[in-house]
This record gives sequence, structure tokens and C-alpha cells, in this order.
Amino acid sequence: MSEVPEPSELVSGLVAGLPGWLPNQRWFAGKDRPVLAVRPLRSTVLHDGDPLLVHVMVEVEQQDRREPYQLLVGDRHELPDHLRSSWIGPGYEASADSDATAPLLDLIAGNSRVDTLVFETEPGVQLETGLRARPITSEQSNTSLVFGHQYILKLFRRLTPGPNPDLVRHRALHAVGCEHIAEPLGSITGELAGQPTTLGMLQPFVADAVDGWAMATTSVRDLMAEADLHADEVGGDFAAEAHRLGHAVGAVHSDLDRALGHEQLGPERLAGVVAAMQRRLDAVLTSVPELGAYEAELRAAFDKAVDAEESITVQHVHGDLHLGQVLRTVSGWLLIDFEGEPAAPAEDRVALHSPLRDVAGMLRSFDYAAHQLLVGQPEDHQLARRAMEWSRRNRDAFCDGYAEVATRSVGDPRGHATLLRAFELDKAVYEVAYEHANRPEWLTVPLSSIARITTEGDHQ
Amino acid sequence: MPGEPRPDAALGLDGVPHTGEGISPDGHLIEPQAEDFRSASLVPRDPNWFKNAVFYEALVRAFSDADGDGTGDLRGLASRLDYLEWLGIDCLWLPPFYASPLRDGGYDISDFRAVLPEFGSVEDFVYLLDEAHRRGIRVVTDLVLNHTSDAHPWFQQSRRDPDGPYGDFYVWSDDDQRYADARIIFVDTETSNWTYDPVRGQFYWHRFFSHQPDLNYENPEVQEAMLEVLRFWLDLGIDGFRLDAVPYLFEEEGTNCENLPRTHEFLKRCRKVVDDEYPGRVLLAEANQWPADVVAYFGDDAIGGDECHMAFHFPLMPRIFMAVRRESRFPISEILSQTPEIPSGCQWGIFLRNHDELTLEMVTDDERDYMYTEYAKDPRMKANIGIRRRLAPLLENDRNQQELFTAMLLSLPGSPVLYYGDEIGMGDNIWLGDRDAVRTPMQWTPDRNAGFSQCDPNRIYLPAISDPVYGYQAINVEAQLNNSSSLLSWTRRMIEVRKQHPAFGLGSFTELGSSNPSVLAFLRRLASDEGTEDIVVCVNNLSRFPQPVELDLSEHQGCAPVELTGGVQFPTVGELPYLLTLPGHGFYWFQIVRTVDDGEAR
Repeated sequence: MSEVPEPSELVSGLVAGLPGWLPNQRWFAGKDRPVLAVRPLRSTVLHDGDPLLVHVMVEVEQQDRREPYQLLVGDRHELPDHLRSSWIGPGYEASADSDATAPLLDLIAGNSRVDTLVFETEPGVQLETGLRARPITSEQSNTSLVFGHQYILKLFRRLTPGPNPDLVRHRALHAVGCEHIAEPLGSITGELAGQPTTLGMLQPFVADAVDGWAMATTSVRDLMAEADLHADEVGGDFAAEAHRLGHAVGAVHSDLDRALGHEQLGPERLAGVVAAMQRRLDAVLTSVPELGAYEAELRAAFDKAVDAEESITVQHVHGDLHLGQVLRTVSGWLLIDFEGEPAAPAEDRVALHSPLRDVAGMLRSFDYAAHQLLVGQPEDHQLARRAMEWSRRNRDAFCDGYAEVATRSVGDPRGHATLLRAFELDKAVYEVAYEHANRPEWLTVPLSSIARITTEGDHQ
Repeated sequence: MPGEPRPDAALGLDGVPHTGEGISPDGHLIEPQAEDFRSASLVPRDPNWFKNAVFYEALVRAFSDADGDGTGDLRGLASRLDYLEWLGIDCLWLPPFYASPLRDGGYDISDFRAVLPEFGSVEDFVYLLDEAHRRGIRVVTDLVLNHTSDAHPWFQQSRRDPDGPYGDFYVWSDDDQRYADARIIFVDTETSNWTYDPVRGQFYWHRFFSHQPDLNYENPEVQEAMLEVLRFWLDLGIDGFRLDAVPYLFEEEGTNCENLPRTHEFLKRCRKVVDDEYPGRVLLAEANQWPADVVAYFGDDAIGGDECHMAFHFPLMPRIFMAVRRESRFPISEILSQTPEIPSGCQWGIFLRNHDELTLEMVTDDERDYMYTEYAKDPRMKANIGIRRRLAPLLENDRNQQELFTAMLLSLPGSPVLYYGDEIGMGDNIWLGDRDAVRTPMQWTPDRNAGFSQCDPNRIYLPAISDPVYGYQAINVEAQLNNSSSLLSWTRRMIEVRKQHPAFGLGSFTELGSSNPSVLAFLRRLASDEGTEDIVVCVNNLSRFPQPVELDLSEHQGCAPVELTGGVQFPTVGELPYLLTLPGHGFYWFQIVRTVDDGEAR
């Protein structure tokens, strides 16, 4: 790379390389079908030097689908070894390059505007600048950079025109003083399809946090090692954490309601919600024959939900809540990533939903945590009972904590047993499809949950 | 007053110098003076010695018996100083050894200027002090400022002669209605903070037991008298005091009579006496409260602290146990994050076990929240809810856990306090009742009475532990001295390593978070005047299972961790998070060392 091409040359060369490169990226959402073409939408030079940093938005065409993505592209005279894997040709994906990404924080701190890109801090926020960035490797559908030990900048990869619900909900929660989120500190906004569109969000980095999945599975491991002790007797009991986690989720729901309001849906709309569950079931049944054994019970459970409540309350919720979306910090639990299910269509991610959907997501997650050590192991009746015990105990503790601060229309989630069960089953049906496609040995986890929930009758 | 008992009658100190042997013409009690005794040589002065010292709590009664009467004594303790020096102890902490009716473990002091006869004499104490100082070991002891025993001649004079010089030494009242907002600490035993004295015909005030009347600090003469008590021992050469029950010195209507500003004022006076007249000696506060509240007892932050030099960090201890039971670092991380910075001239004292202690059954969070409430209460409440067990039996005699706990004690912020016997993994005897379970004789040898005393075994104050696992035939100093892989040898080695790195005592503390909740990792860092830095990283696996951890050491890119017990250099820190794996309940101590170009540590 003795010659660094002009930014415009770089981008036109780059789009030719992207169809082959994109499908190998973890965050790329279109791995299910070939990339036909990639077209540049807009490129903006953020730092003209060595390394060069260009912000690029492209449109990816795949059969009937055209979706916008954002990239950070860099170029250097000499590419260091550790960046070779980021090479696209020409140029490289720059998020792993600490030298190249450093200006992003400074641009936000300076409330800068570069071409159509707007970098800004939230009102009243002062940022420390000049910090080095490193990428977080665990991210699934987006890319996050940590600056120093202080800040984390999330760059949304697949873009949707308009404000991102993650930023909208964080702002709203912060405005009402919610204690269970990381405060929004700044944002990056660009223009897409003529609309100001959220490209990134800056928050404080909680360096010492542990996600709920790691916390929960630590407890399960402890229980599984004690052949003769019950879930409430072991030192690693998780119920108190589950209780506080429920409390945190309940508080976030109440705060979202307070900040952004709610709507009351009548029977018709409730029927629509249930119809969507039935449609999902239809689709999964065609690809996963094992689910057929439970079809009748599933349909009956969904149908029952239509008449279970006179109306349901919908509001802004988290949208994709599970143990991996909550962080234990030294001061309590935080919820992260309020952008809804990554695979769901954009309109679903911004739509209002019943808070019970989040609750169901978390209850399913407890079930997963309880059973994950058993996956791929020979069947062990004793351990399976322990897993159930752990799951019941912590799901109950979660609901107890939730009920303490829930909105009035929800209260104790167990009071909406039929609807909650439908949400849980709907989630389990989704899990069946996911496991079938990705981790077949895990398929037994959602399937056995479905078997249990549909035979147990009312929610337990 | 003919026919009346002498004021010193209750002391049982005939034949040794004591308070109230005589009365001056103006009615003052004659008290022993420091000049009456030889004073000990001092350890070379070091104003910061306590900040990186390793403390050792030994009970005089339990450590070693020189005169063969079945009870440990000061001469016996002095005979074991070579052992403590070998172990690496910098400071010996002795619970009260003063004259006392022993109705509250010696905290009911009947003469501040005399030694409990079964322990020896003031001369014996000076001998101990002298011998300790010759070995570079300092000695601190408990002092109760708040009250005396009702057998103290001051109280005897006060009740009999309201108009005499001691008439206002205690808090007297015609009724029992004043200070109604002060809670009763020993609710099990006491129904009121006031007790009627038929001799004087008035009520007297007591925050603790009714046999422990509170001194009246409103009276300037009481303040002077107590400062003179401090001077008495400091003149003899003692290195400091652990001040017992400090929050209660003053009373004020309409308050809960705790932590009052004038209490702090008096502590500042005590500190001034130490600073002006006895520099290098220390005051250690016993205030069993949340760290954020204890900090007040260090005094003014702007001048490095002007009350106590040290205070015990009480909530840390049960949380270490809880964290390991939970296999989660959060109980420890939480309390450390809630612990405020302390003034530059101060230090925490931390411990795993001591002679009386809080319940360790606080492993559920409901109980933890309960603990919050408990800590708001009184220091000595803990006696009423305490389960007293030794470290080894608490950890089911698991060597790995004993090492992990001791490693954390020696590396977390604060000066560590070891409890006698835990360095050899001594057991307890729960059949003695919880007060005495952890106060059995130190186990020196497999011989009679564990080598503690030559007395007839029936005469010993408490039987030595003799069960098959922890009994003195199996667990004793002699056997472990001869075994380089013993817990004792290991403990000595870790203390030695600690001393090679001043960052353990003086360095800043930063927790290194990781995504593994079972691993507690932190960094201690101390910059020297020469511009070099001592950086130590401690990584502790709180889980019984092996664990990986990825640490963010990016700040030390290009440096190499060198393991401190063996000196093995680990791979150089690169761009990526630093991966370590730990065995169950394993730990590492590393020094972070710069490497030169060939990768060798420098």
C-alpha cells in the first residue's frame, strides 16, 4: 500500500469487495441469502491523514431486500499485522484500529458536524477526550468501541431511517431518572432516505459489570455440584439476585410508561397479537417437524389468550429481554440494548408491546440458564429435577421483585397467567426455529419447555 | 468515713500498686504513676509504620503460660516473641489485660493502671514491651474510654461522696427519664440505660451493662483523667490503643447520643496528645459501622486525619465469606466500592477472624439486607448475634480456601490482622459455648496441654482442642515449623512476599473488572519518590471450579506479570485482553514489570 487512493477511489473500489466480505461479518444480518450488489449511499471523510478514516453508508441488495448498513473504513500506508484480518480491499474495516477510531469521541465531545453527519453530546454532558478506543468482541449485531475505561460507543450496523429506539428509550428513561440504565452521553446522526437517522450512541462504560447469563450460570453450576442440596440451600443461591433483577425490570417498565405513556388495546387488537403468534407457529412447523407433536396444545394455548383479558396495555418495552441483556454492576442491575429483537422488522422494533413480552423473555432465559449445563450430556433425572427447581425458584423470585414496582395495569405478571403463558410459548416457538437452524443439540431445551408449559396448565 | 469500705476494696490488688491505695488530703485517689516503673525501649520511629504492618491478635490468657497456673500470662507471651518475629509480625494487638472483675471479657476495667494479677504485673508488661521492641514488634492494646467497671475506685468514690472530687465523674440523675432517644444496646440484658444506685440514691447512666457506668465527659476532670491514662501507658512505651466503643462518649438531650460532635472533639484532643508528646504511636477506632460513617473517626481529611489513625473495616470480613460461598465477587466489590477514600495519614484494619465476631451465615441477600440494619446499630451488639468459629473449621479445613482467604486478607486494602492460631489452622470447640469456642490454648507442641502450660491438665483455663482433626497432636506449631509445605510455612512466606511490595500496604486499589463473576481481580499501585512504581495485580478465583478470566491490562501493554511467590515471568501483555486460567479457589499475585526488547523482565 505505498499509494493511498483518494477517498472517492477508495469507496468505489471498496463496494466491489464488499459482496464477498460482508457475509463473513458477525453483525451482518443477511447471511441467509447471497449478496447481489452493494451500492454506496454516502461517504464522509472523518479524518484525512494516516490512518485515513471514512464513514461509509452502503445499500446491500439481496434478492427482494435492500438494506442500508454503515461501515468505518480506514486506509494506511502500512497496515499493522493485527489489522490484516480486517482487510476488505482496498481499505480495511477500521473499527478494530485504535488509531483510526480515536477521533470519533473527540468529534462527539466537540459537538461537530462533518458534512451531513452530526456528532453531539446530550445536554449538559462534558466528555473527556483523547482516549484510545478498542472494540468489544462479544457484540452480536452491532459494533461497540470502548474509549479508555470511560465510554462505550455503539455503532448500529444495519440502519433504519429515523431515530433508533435504543437512543429514544434511553433518553426517555434518563429524563425520568431511571436508575437501571447507563446514561446516554452522546450520539451520531446521519441522513438516510431523507431522514435524520441514529448511527451511534455513546454511554458510560461499566467496566466491572458482568452479564446476567454469567451470573445465573455460575449459580446453576454451584447447584449442580451439590447432589444432595436443594436450590434454596446452596451457597450460590440466585433468588435474591433474581428478585432484584425483577425489581429492576419492573422499575424500567414503570419508568418507560411514565416517560412515554401507554395505550390500551381492545379485544380486536389482542386477537391480532395472538394471530401473529399463530403465524409464527405456522412458519416454524413447516421447518421443524419435531414441533408438530405440540401443535394442538400450542394453538389452544394461544387461542385461550384471546379471551383471557378484556384488553391489554401496550407501551414501550425492551423488546428483546433476556439474561444477556442485563448487567450486574456494583450498584445493581442495568438493562442494555433497547432496540428490540434484532431479527424483527423495523416497525415491530419501534412498536408498543405488552410488558409481559419482556417478562416472558426473561422467564424463558431463566429456563435456558437452568438447563444449559445439561445440553449434550447423558440424561440425568436428578440433575434435570435440580434444573427445574432452580428455574422455578428464580422465575418466582423474579416475578416477586417485578410485582413490587410494576405498573398498575400489569402488577404481578403471574396474575396474567394465560397471556403470559402465550408469550412464553411464542418465545419458545421462536427458540425452536433458532436452535433448529443454529444449534440442533439445544433443540431439546425449548421443546421440553413447551411440553412442560402446555401440560402444566396455568402458569407455575 | 470510718466503717465504710475502702474505695479499692473490690479490686483484689493488695500488694501491687493500684488506684486508691491512698487518698490525698483533698480527697483525690492516689494512682500509680509511670515514673514508678521502668519504661521500655522504643522501636525506631516511623510515622507510617501502621500502614503496612501485619498485626497479630493474641489473647494473653490463651497464648502461653509461664508460671504454670493454667492461665496464659504476659511473661509467657514474651517467651513466644521469637515465633512472632519469625512469622513476620509487625504489631501485636492485645485485648484488655487490665485489672477487671471480668464480667465483660476484661472490657469492664476496674483499674486503668494495674494489670489483671493472673496475667502478671505492670513490670511484666514493660518486660514484654521491651522484648517485643527489641525484635521490632510493636504492641497495641484495647482501651475503653466510655465507661469503667462499677468496681473502679472512681465509681466507688462517686457513689459515696457526691460532693467529693469524683462526684461528677459519672452521669448521675434524680430520675431515669433523660436521653430517652438513646437506644438500649444490650436489649437482652438491660431494660434501661439508667440504673438506680441505692448508695447515692440516684440513677447512673450506662450505654452497656449496668455494671459499666459511663464516664461523664462533660466534666473536664474526667477528660484530663483519661488523657492521663493514655499518658501512663504511652510513657511506659506502648505503641498505641484500640479505642473501644468510641461513638458514645457524650450525651445530649434530643439526640441518639452517638457520634456527637463533642465526642469527635475529645478524640481530637487524644490525637493531639499522641502527636505532640508521643509521635509515631497510633489510635485505632473500634466503630462497628458502615465504612462511610466510620470515616468520620479519621477526622479532618484536609490535614491527613486528626482523630484515629486506623479503624477496623467491619463489613468486609463477612462479605469475603459470602463471596466465596456465592462464587461471586460482588459482595466484596460492592462493599469496596462503597468504601470512601480515607485521609492520607490513615489506614483500615482488616481481618478474617477475631476474638468476637459477626455471624457468617449471611449468605442470602435477605440476610445481607438485614446486615445493613445491624450495622447501623451498636459495635457490641455483635456479641449478641455472633457465631464464633475459627477460620479453618468455617472453611471445612479446606487448605485451598484457607490459602485463598489469607491471600485476600494480605492483599486487600488495609493492614491485615491475623488471629492467633489461624496461621496453623487451629480448630474451635463449640461445646465451650460461643464465647470461649475460639479462645482455647495456642497449640505449640503435641505435648501435654499443647505445650501451652506445664500445669495439671485439670487446672487449665480451657482445655486444648483434642479432636482427631484439629487436636494439638495433629495441629501444632512445632510440627508445622518442621514442614516446609505446612500452612504455617506458607503463611510466613506470603507475609514475607507482602513485605517485599509496599504497594500492598500503601498502594492505591483499583478493581479490574472482568466478565467472569467468580474472579476478583485488583491492582495495587504505589509510586515511589524515585519515580519508579510498584504495581501488583492480584487475581482470586472465588469458585471451587477452575475458571478463565480475561483482564484488561491494556495500560500495561508491553509489560510482563511476574508471579510473586516463584518469580516466574508470564507472557507479555499485548493488545488483546490478558487471559489467565485459575484452579478452583486459586489465586495469583503478580508484579507488573517492564520488559526490554528481548522480552526479558527488567
